[in-house]
Amino acid sequence: MRIRTAALAALVVGAVLFFAFNLKFPTFPPVSVKAEALACIGGVIDDAGHCSKETVFPITNSLLTTVVVDVLLVLLVVFGVRNQMVPRGFQNFIELVVSSLHDFALGVDKKNVAKFFPFVGTAFLLILLSNFVGLVPGVGSIGSCQVVTDPVRLAKMEEDAAKIKPTSFDALPQQCDHHEHEELVPFFRAPTADLNMTLALGLMAVILIEYFGLKALGLEYLVRFFNFREGPMFTVIGFIELLSEFIRIVSFAFRLFGNIFAGEVVLIVMGYLFPYMLPLPFYAFEVFVALMQAVIFSVLTLVFMSMATQAHGGGHDEHEAAAH
Amino acid sequence: MTDEGLRFVAMALAIGLGAIGPGAGIGVVFSGALQAMGRNPEAEGMLRTYMFLGFALAEVPFILSMVFGLLIGFKII
Repeated sequence: MRIRTAALAALVVGAVLFFAFNLKFPTFPPVSVKAEALACIGGVIDDAGHCSKETVFPITNSLLTTVVVDVLLVLLVVFGVRNQMVPRGFQNFIELVVSSLHDFALGVDKKNVAKFFPFVGTAFLLILLSNFVGLVPGVGSIGSCQVVTDPVRLAKMEEDAAKIKPTSFDALPQQCDHHEHEELVPFFRAPTADLNMTLALGLMAVILIEYFGLKALGLEYLVRFFNFREGPMFTVIGFIELLSEFIRIVSFAFRLFGNIFAGEVVLIVMGYLFPYMLPLPFYAFEVFVALMQAVIFSVLTLVFMSMATQAHGGGHDEHEAAAH
Repeated sequence: MTDEGLRFVAMALAIGLGAIGPGAGIGVVFSGALQAMGRNPEAEGMLRTYMFLGFALAEVPFILSMVFGLLIGFKII
């Protein structure tokens, strides 16, 4: 009963806010690869929708959503976990989540789990919540209208506008008028649908992998990259290993970004293709993908970390074994 | 052929050609995992995790080609 009242209150407050601030719906599929700027500290938003050059700190819709997700996570943990000796209610759930994650990490690397788990577990929860936030109705589809003045984009918009047939939805008040060259700038965008966020996560993961490797093995860690002792074959393999460390950053970043962004586009396309029932299975699949991508990012980081802390294996051990 | 028609052909080619390799790869991943599960049912829990890991790694080229295909189709690049 209390939940129903709260949901009703949230709906009413949402509707009031929606109309009071004159928020808008899009009329055309709002597909944008980059996160749009909402405000530019120290600068202005120019005609093309970018921040001007003197901007100190651009605030994009993706950044805003990241802050929301962060606050949500912190609140969840602070209010969910009050260190009860016998956990009750919500703390049970959080402890279940964290302990099952920890058990899994224990299965991958028993020795170093205490070192790896803080980053891996946090990354998992952050990515999971970020992916799920992108699936909440209203994220990416409610925003303000911005008049496009950039000539290149204007030409493209006019070309598009000529193709749109008038529909019964045109009579609705809360939408951007495509014929007046207005374009929707959403207030919220899934954090992981922004390449900046995923690139930052990938960089952090790879830097930590190298750090743990160097800390565990010392300079011996570098032998796997610069191996001149065992003939030219291993020198080449070491070079490829070094290259693959850098490719990891790109693959981490693009895997997460690509999955989430492509999922959003698929949902938009299905929604415009046939709005009734058709998007439902795709939505369910996107929920699965959101979970899987969080799992994959954290498991890959964990496995790479555990591989980095193990002594150089390829050839070296066999060589020694053969010698003895 | 108009410019727009070419765009749609390019999008279809990008997504379609990009799906060939990952399709075969995902098939190999799941067939290997199923065989392993059949031979060693106790290891199913661990195998499932690594199966999805392999699935995700094999899927990357398709996701990339789909992103680029969509970007071409929506005239973003």
